Amino acid sequence: MRPLTEEESKAVFTKLASYIGKNLVHLIDRPDEPYCFRLQKDRVFYVSEASMRLGISVARPNLVSLGTCFGKFSKSGKFKLHITVLDYLAQYAKYKVWIKPNGEMPFLYGNHVLKAHLGRITEDTPEHQGVVVFSMSDIPLGFGVTARSTVDTRKLDPTAIIVFHQADVGEYLRDEETLF
Amino acid sequence: MDVSSILDAQKAREQNVQVDKETPFEIDCGHLMVTDLNPIDEESYTENLEEHLQNLARDGTQALIGALFGLPTTKSDYGPLAQLPSRAYQLPRAKPLPKPKPQTKWEKFAAAKGISHRKKDKRVWDEEKQEWVNRWGKDGKNKQVEEQWLTEVPRNADADYNPQLAARQERKERTAKNEKQRVANIARGESSSRKTELEKTLATTRVSTASMGKFDKKLEGEKKLRGIKRKFDPTEAPVGNEQKTALKLISSMDSDARKMRKTHRGDEPDNTLNARKAIRFASKGQGAAALAGARGGKGARGGRGGKGRR
Repeated sequence: MRPLTEEESKAVFTKLASYIGKNLVHLIDRPDEPYCFRLQKDRVFYVSEASMRLGISVARPNLVSLGTCFGKFSKSGKFKLHITVLDYLAQYAKYKVWIKPNGEMPFLYGNHVLKAHLGRITEDTPEHQGVVVFSMSDIPLGFGVTARSTVDTRKLDPTAIIVFHQADVGEYLRDEETLF
Repeated sequence: MDVSSILDAQKAREQNVQVDKETPFEIDCGHLMVTDLNPIDEESYTENLEEHLQNLARDGTQALIGALFGLPTTKSDYGPLAQLPSRAYQLPRAKPLPKPKPQTKWEKFAAAKGISHRKKDKRVWDEEKQEWVNRWGKDGKNKQVEEQWLTEVPRNADADYNPQLAARQERKERTAKNEKQRVANIARGESSSRKTELEKTLATTRVSTASMGKFDKKLEGEKKLRGIKRKFDPTEAPVGNEQKTALKLISSMDSDARKMRKTHRGDEPDNTLNARKAIRFASKGQGAAALAGARGGKGARGGRGGKGRR
């Protein structure tokens, strides 16, 4: 377990900022308790200072997880967000997409969001913008990247992809072995 | 009346609470630590180790708790809380002592001559203004000459002599000299002995072959090349510093993005029109050159034909 280097934190912050924008500051500068990012075996954890200090005393091979796993670094140094970060993304998300009940299951099985399943979308969402996907009853289901801007979606046919799938809560079951 | 049974019971109860040892325990309430200096009783140790250890632990804990109950207490929602005294036992350091900073050239000289350090105040008294002014920085005293409204010009000065510029140059030279000295001091502080330099050169030459040193003949007693060790921030440092650097990084990333956006907009003042697509549409897929040629009738570029006609 170690703090992130500058390059690593840049990668993590740019990825997070594509979903929550300037709200990223609220993750770092929290009023309740100091939180920090820690790297443990290519995984990035967001953890309170108190539990981080407890975790210091655990040897590196024995430490499985601590705090919230935000994602992992690939071998080529890219950062990929895991579904476990959804709680924080949903809380601070700038752009949101709501999908109809008939589109929930296809999305939860790892498919992209089609226009036919689109219930609502935040106004003036740009193209290739990170969005959090909600059900119509405001339950966060996952996140993805918009394929078109809000304006462009109006002209599309119902089978066109609106949001590229990145992660969904179905991964808790599908990727149970590798997720944590 | 026979009270011996009551006395016995009382005695047995006290035995549980009081611990008698040849050498009394050393109790450090600040650390909640008890040290037992008595030699180990070999008989009970060999006979039943588990019981022996348990008894030792019980006695120690009993002594500690007895000492804790003797401390002054404060009331709280959770019941009385004992106020622990300051720690007596000196725990060893987790990390080695920090190395002393290498002395600068001036510090060495001052130490040799016995010159004591005199700290300069950031602010100095200005007689004319009758107030405290910065020695340097904003409205600093060192900029007074170049900022005054009237400056004396020396008698033998050139015609294009600018006193303000000259004073500024002099000041800039002083800062440059200081910076040079600072860098030199750092270079001197790093142990760049002949040996380390040689080792560095040797390491470079060893990997400077076509195979990056992989198929070279190994000499006897040649050590394996060691790469540069990666260094990370300590995990146990306070999180506050980390937060500060993270926030700084975020703000710098933000300003970078804003700069990028500004230049982008400067290039294309109106990005509602897709220029490339418009040209393609207007020229029916021929491109901008064809469009220019069509507009000028037989354009300048129309003169030269296809292949081989020169």
